[in-house]
Amino acid sequence: MTSILNMTVLFNVSLAVYFCAMVASVIGLMSRRRFFDVAANGLIVVGVSIQTIYLGMRWVEAGRAPFSNMFESLVLFGWTVSVVYLLLRIRAKLPWLAAASAALSALALAHASTFESEIRPLMPALQSNWLSFHVMTCFLGYGAFAISSLAAVGFLIASRERSTAQGETRQTLETIVAQTISFGFLFLTLGILTGAVWANSAWGTYWSWDPKETWSLITWFIYAGFLHFNFVRGWRGRRAAWISIIGFVSVLFTYYGVNFLLAGLHSYAKS
Amino acid sequence: MGLLLFAMSDPIEKSNQPAAHALGNPVTKVLGSLKFALTVILLLALACIAGTLIPQGAQVEPYLARPGGHPVLGMLSALGLTRVFYSWWFVGLLFALASSLMVCTGRRYHAIKRAKGAARIRVIGSFITHVSLLLVLAGGVVRVIWGQKGMIQFREGEIVESAESPDGPMALPFSLRLSKFELEFHKNPEESKDATGDRLQVQWAEKNWVTHFSTELNVEHPVTPPDAAAGSRPSFVVKVLRHVSDFAIDGTTGEVMSRSDEPNNPAVQISVVAGGVTNRQWVFARFPDFGSHDVLDAAAMPLKFRFQAAESAGRGRQGSIKAFKSTIEVVENGAVVSTRVIAVNSPFSWKGFSFYQTSYNPDDLAWSALQVVRDPGVPIVYAGFILMMAGLTLVFCVGPWLGEQRRTTGGIP
Ligand code: HEM
Repeated sequence: MTSILNMTVLFNVSLAVYFCAMVASVIGLMSRRRFFDVAANGLIVVGVSIQTIYLGMRWVEAGRAPFSNMFESLVLFGWTVSVVYLLLRIRAKLPWLAAASAALSALALAHASTFESEIRPLMPALQSNWLSFHVMTCFLGYGAFAISSLAAVGFLIASRERSTAQGETRQTLETIVAQTISFGFLFLTLGILTGAVWANSAWGTYWSWDPKETWSLITWFIYAGFLHFNFVRGWRGRRAAWISIIGFVSVLFTYYGVNFLLAGLHSYAKS
Repeated sequence: MGLLLFAMSDPIEKSNQPAAHALGNPVTKVLGSLKFALTVILLLALACIAGTLIPQGAQVEPYLARPGGHPVLGMLSALGLTRVFYSWWFVGLLFALASSLMVCTGRRYHAIKRAKGAARIRVIGSFITHVSLLLVLAGGVVRVIWGQKGMIQFREGEIVESAESPDGPMALPFSLRLSKFELEFHKNPEESKDATGDRLQVQWAEKNWVTHFSTELNVEHPVTPPDAAAGSRPSFVVKVLRHVSDFAIDGTTGEVMSRSDEPNNPAVQISVVAGGVTNRQWVFARFPDFGSHDVLDAAAMPLKFRFQAAESAGRGRQGSIKAFKSTIEVVENGAVVSTRVIAVNSPFSWKGFSFYQTSYNPDDLAWSALQVVRDPGVPIVYAGFILMMAGLTLVFCVGPWLGEQRRTTGGIP
């Protein structure tokens, strides 16, 4: 009981920390004071650490990987977005990307809190390590695609203004859009494949064209298209940014649209 | 550190582009063009969108079967849009993708020799990725041509030699016997402490009357026939005397006991008082038709009892079931050659046939359903999966990482 209470506290604290990180980086953007930028990044590190502890506790409490329903997957999404941001931060400094990703993590957690957070036992088909691995890898991909689309939006905004400083930012953003998609594509592919292996061990079919599977394939096609356009054809700039945004819309549809609008094999994961 | 490896990527250099002489044949020229490939991928994506937004297959049939059919769905069905993933044109698109991939990979093979250094790793990775896609598609074709799928339904002790499939019986080169079926429930401490989940259903068939009582011990529940005048004396008084979660009879004493706290065989002992005669009996949640009476015989008792234990009432809810498993024996030439337990997510394969636990029957706990699949394409598909991950890792991790190393150490790029 106490650990469940502690967990709720941790959940709320991580949400608050992400929110503060967002506020700090927005102030940093406006005041151009280095302090706020450093504080925002520090807070994101704290947020990710708290969430990591939270996920670990929930894993122990449930006796299984905590990635099985809407609540748990939204928490995971909040975590992966900030993790991908921090990985990128090692290379490039982008204060407003800190604001955007902290906001997205906070939003994911706030949305998670509208769902049932109780730990429930799993039905037999969901008791699989392949499934945990599948969800984890898909969400790392989704986190990367989220950051990519945020950078793409940033690029589109930055490319409206014309100054040399903006030009530099644009180039960094272009690179981030492509890098995060490479990273995301690797993990989405791994996610789809582990999902197929799971389906094969649960039902004897690795692919059955159910809406969730099909939408993950659509998403995968979109990003495969991006890779060919970007790396082979050298598409950059606005067109690449738009593909990244369309790709993330497809991710969102795979995640929400299919759960709420379309029925299918995966629909039991709804509650 | 992961993202660090996703170094800046430049467009593939000119030297990696196919040499002009390789483009001689106009057919391969079209098939091998990126434009063609991307068009096919776009069409596939659009077809997939249609296939999820338009109701498919079995979902549509009831509407079409209605007198007069369904105008919109009828039209979509005529256009082949209600069976997108099995339509000739969708399969055609997959073939177009495969042909494009074949021409591309054939050509990329030559590019490997030309590329140097870190770029070469990337080209090799991309080659492996495209080959892996061909393997996955090939595995799918093998499944469609040589795959078989069927269903086995049997009860404990039964033996089967074939599975049922839509195209008639599917012969197996061995027999299977279901020696045991088990259904396990999640321990739910809250529910078992709180007896309110348990109910005793009382049915008076003659009078067409049903009611439910709580199973709280030693509480008297009067039963008055529905047609009796108000204030008349109850015909029966029902009382729950005992509750055990895992009913068993002690072999030496002949006493009823509970083997464990697990709700494996929940039962209640009740007493029914009618006209001064007390009748005691056990009612079993899992075996509703089984009851033992010690005074009246069953026929003389107009009331029928059913014990609806919280656990078994929850049987229909998916979350409360922890596992269901079948112990099966493989029988060849009359001899048992193997005994295995099959559970969800834990299939069993024998001589190319795989068996998957798919279903159980809450009203017949000796019954089990297995899906049988023979899919010689699976090893090919899985090989494709492994190669795909290897190829993508080369393209996105190893290649950029090597490139980085050479850049920073000042070596030849
Ligand atoms: C959905 C299926 C496909 C996937 C997932 C896929 C994936 C990839 C990947 C990951 C790369 C490496 C990109 C890079 O170097 O950064 C690539 C490159 C490439 N792909 Fe595809 N591809 C697909 C279909 C095709 C098809 C059908 C063609 C045929 C025209 C094709 C032609 C190429 C070419 C020419 C390159 C670049 C050259 C090279 O590095 O070898 N791809 N593809």
